[in-house]
Amino acid sequence: MEKLYIKLEDWQGFIKGKLEGNRIYAPVENNNFLFYEILNEKNLEKVVYDKARTVEPLKIFLYPIKEFVVPEIENIENIVVMGVTSCDLKGLEILDSVFIKGDYKDLNYKRRRENLLIISIDCKEPYNSCFCNLVGINPYPEKNFDLNLSKIESGFIVEVGSEKGKEFIGDDKRFYRINETQIKNLEEDRKKVIEKLEEINRIFNLKDFENLEGMYQKEYWEISDVKNCVSCGSCTFNCPTCVCFLLEDTSDDGNFKKVKVWDSCLFPGYAKMASGETPRPTLYDRYANRMLCKYWYMKDNFDIIGCTGCGRCISGCIGKIDKRKVLTEVLSRKIKV
Amino acid sequence: MEKNIYRPIKCEVIDNIKESPTINTIVLKPYEEFSFLAGQFASLTVPGIGEAPFTPSSSPFDKEKIEFTVMKTGRVTEKIHELKKGEIVGIRGPYGRPYPLEKFKDKEVLLVGGGVGLAPIRALFLALVETYKDYKKIVFCCGARTPSDYIYKELIFDKWQKLCEKIPLCFRITVDKRDENWKYMEGVVTVTLSNLDMDIKNSVAIVCGPPIMMKFTTLKLLEIGFSEENIYLSMERKMYCGVGHCRHCMIGELFVCKDGPVFTYQELKDKPNIWV
Repeated sequence: MEKLYIKLEDWQGFIKGKLEGNRIYAPVENNNFLFYEILNEKNLEKVVYDKARTVEPLKIFLYPIKEFVVPEIENIENIVVMGVTSCDLKGLEILDSVFIKGDYKDLNYKRRRENLLIISIDCKEPYNSCFCNLVGINPYPEKNFDLNLSKIESGFIVEVGSEKGKEFIGDDKRFYRINETQIKNLEEDRKKVIEKLEEINRIFNLKDFENLEGMYQKEYWEISDVKNCVSCGSCTFNCPTCVCFLLEDTSDDGNFKKVKVWDSCLFPGYAKMASGETPRPTLYDRYANRMLCKYWYMKDNFDIIGCTGCGRCISGCIGKIDKRKVLTEVLSRKIKV
Repeated sequence: MEKNIYRPIKCEVIDNIKESPTINTIVLKPYEEFSFLAGQFASLTVPGIGEAPFTPSSSPFDKEKIEFTVMKTGRVTEKIHELKKGEIVGIRGPYGRPYPLEKFKDKEVLLVGGGVGLAPIRALFLALVETYKDYKKIVFCCGARTPSDYIYKELIFDKWQKLCEKIPLCFRITVDKRDENWKYMEGVVTVTLSNLDMDIKNSVAIVCGPPIMMKFTTLKLLEIGFSEENIYLSMERKMYCGVGHCRHCMIGELFVCKDGPVFTYQELKDKPNIWV
């Protein structure tokens, strides 16, 4: 797709012009972490374009923590989300597969998806918990965006990813054609980020994760790190591809009302039936289920693995469980058996 | 606007029949057309209380009303037992893979139902009776803990048995523990599977009941020569959406809501904790 260049201050001016008539979210730094904020003239210059992923996954804009599914929501507004990284764009493929690509379409998700414009960025400073390279994803967006910003020098290379993105730019004269040197610099920058990721993940080996197929037995998962799981659900709520939810009925007077609320397969009551029985009674069964869901079930269901290497499950874990370490160990157990 | 997959159809409760001390059958009249195939399920909303999946127990050919036979086990089912005529509930569906009647053609069909597991079997049985010429014979094995725990008493002990005179059908009926008036077999439902007068190689078996019953029935069926792909199990899991989104009902990589609830034993045998 078309690639353009724009200077940082011109981009800020461009976005400033878009504030009216658009609700725009972008990452702003707070205590060394990036959180989405609604942009206004005051925080516009605080937007971070050259670091890494945000704390919240992109799914919060499409699939809120709690929402009514009955009755139907009347207005779903158009939003622009800036600063989305490659890992979250990959996560979007799982969300789409679950909510709109099958026989049954989730109305709220579908409408929000149609009303979303995504301005992604290249990841420049991956965290120690990042491992997209281990799951076959590059730290720079290659698809699923409307516009992508790659920070170079004192500006951005802007890649147009869709008609919607092209329209957003319109014929704004602040965007230039890029030159060969800029492309070369970008390629070198991107290579350096990949090298950094390789260095971060040198000691982990997930390359045979398809071997997890069939590893239901909890004995494989009974390792000391997993024992530290406190079933808080942080890894699932922070995950860009975890989709589990429950439905609550709050109907009254013959008017049906249903609320959809995020749920987590790590909660002991998640699969508990009315009989009181659960097919996953131990922590290890539940931990195994989450891993198998990511690396096998979703692959089987949608032909894409459910992990994007964003590392939120690692950085957000209260029990300090490093999934990469667990998987490296579990996979080595399989080889021994 | 497009169809909302979560919006139920309103239904009026037209009867609530006590079957046994813990099991009721509610009869509903849907305000919009609702049809299903035997083995499929629907999500039943009790307004303000909750929603739970049930397989209809009435005939799929009955377009006027739909029945659900429900055991009292939790919050929603308790309220279902209390529903009065005229109250409004909701249903959405039908969901899931039904019993593959086309695969039963020209075969002998063995039905094995235990306790409230007779509910989906009833819908299937009624469908089979409508099309009985398609099958060589139907053998219906029923079990319950005690005679009073039997559901569909009038049907099983009277009305359905009369059908045996007209169509190739027979019943084998047992209870775990008999009382002084009991005139059928005694013992868990697997006792009905000994000395079956069936051509096993040309038979299919459909099993529904509590997990422990399904487990031992399946083992017995394998022992007497049924192949894994000819044993059909109706599975139950915690379920919310019914459409493969919420992932609560997964057994390994399979969804009970859309790959099931009817599975062959062959499809399930390597999956984790299936007998729960």
